[in-house]
Amino acid sequence: MQEKINKIIWILVPLLIVGLLICHIIFKNEGKEYTRNFFYMDTYIYVKLYETDSKKVEQAFQGIETIYQEYHKLADRYQSYDDIVNLYTIHNNTLEVDTITLDQRLYDMISYGKEWYDKSNGKLDISMGNVLDVWKQYRDNQNGIPTIEELKQNDRSNIEDIILLENNQIKNNHVNIDLGAIAKGYATEMVGEYLESIGIFNYLINAGGNVKVGIPQNKNKFSIGIEDPNSKQGEICKIVYGKNISVVTSGGYERYYEYNGQKYHHIIDPDTLMPANHMKSVTVITDDSRLGDILSTILFLMPIEEGQMFIENENAEAIWYNNENQIITSSGMNQYEQK
Amino acid sequence: MNKSDLKLIVSILGITILFLIIFSMIQKQEAKTALIYYQNEVVQIIDLTQNEQRDYIVEGENGPVVIEVNKGKIRVKQEESPLHICSKQGYISKNTEMIVCLPNKIVIQIEAKNIIDTVAR
Repeated sequence: MQEKINKIIWILVPLLIVGLLICHIIFKNEGKEYTRNFFYMDTYIYVKLYETDSKKVEQAFQGIETIYQEYHKLADRYQSYDDIVNLYTIHNNTLEVDTITLDQRLYDMISYGKEWYDKSNGKLDISMGNVLDVWKQYRDNQNGIPTIEELKQNDRSNIEDIILLENNQIKNNHVNIDLGAIAKGYATEMVGEYLESIGIFNYLINAGGNVKVGIPQNKNKFSIGIEDPNSKQGEICKIVYGKNISVVTSGGYERYYEYNGQKYHHIIDPDTLMPANHMKSVTVITDDSRLGDILSTILFLMPIEEGQMFIENENAEAIWYNNENQIITSSGMNQYEQK
Repeated sequence: MNKSDLKLIVSILGITILFLIIFSMIQKQEAKTALIYYQNEVVQIIDLTQNEQRDYIVEGENGPVVIEVNKGKIRVKQEESPLHICSKQGYISKNTEMIVCLPNKIVIQIEAKNIIDTVAR
């Protein structure tokens, strides 16, 4: 009898150990969570990866940093860099040449901006750098607002002056181009493409509230909260669920200054040259971060009813938070409302 | 069965209990979130792990409902209803606990784990 029990134990114990080992291997196959922060394009960029191979993660973080850094330089309006032709160079160069050759990525962004100027009937205007600079000056000093005359005097650049030619060339018209509604979304989309190209599909990127996610681990969908524009503590007014999507919000509640009890934010309507006040915020959900970034700005500059019609023709959904604190959603939103 | 067998069995039992204790501790540390519903829609999401004391006001069927958060617990402080059932219920704090204010069509529900992965703003 005692021998029998002894035998059973000698069989059970190794079995238990093998079982534990198998469990351990299964757990190990599940990627670990790695996070890293970057600071480019005036925002904190937060990246989370789920991966088993830690060397690959290090390589990925370096690749991501390079992408954001280079897009940051390309879209910088305030400073030139030795190794790259950027927006500052286009605007401020003293070269006596007719055309300038651009980096493919900068050329693509400007071309994307021009394309959407037409599609949005001029609501998205990348030639407004001078007007934005006037607003920025007042915002930095937190004192007063520009007069309409001052703004109009500075609104001399025109989208037609931005002339793109063959072989990545641009006509040297010294236009003060602003890619504020494009560069962050563009870089984020490129980071997503890069990650997928090296075989990382489980990722989450939050570039200053500009969110792009891949496929989550251990569950079906990511949950992405949308910030309540009235809340000072970063509370959430809605959650959307999805994978392989991009969620981008435009709102006047983040960057603004107050003058005479009025709030003045940074998203300027090209028609009035003043901050747009049709709503408190709008969020766009798409599968392309470039589209999400540009559409959220366009929708913010339109009355909500106009935006509702506009978005019907795009492969995107939207959530508006109107001035009466109501939430309005586009017709296909329900696909992002289920866990 | 001799003494060493007994030792083995006891030590296996001991390890199992240790694991159970560790797992239950990990679960206790998990983030907790309170969801406030009006009818079927989430109107407020509150992170209960932040040890703050604060009042939230949400609009119910009979007017404003005052909800108090205090050290990871949540309760209905004030509300307009015939029997005041939900304000009499007091604090809730555990996973899946619920407060239902039927006359006001307000429901407070606690979910374990951080339900939000990230925030767009």
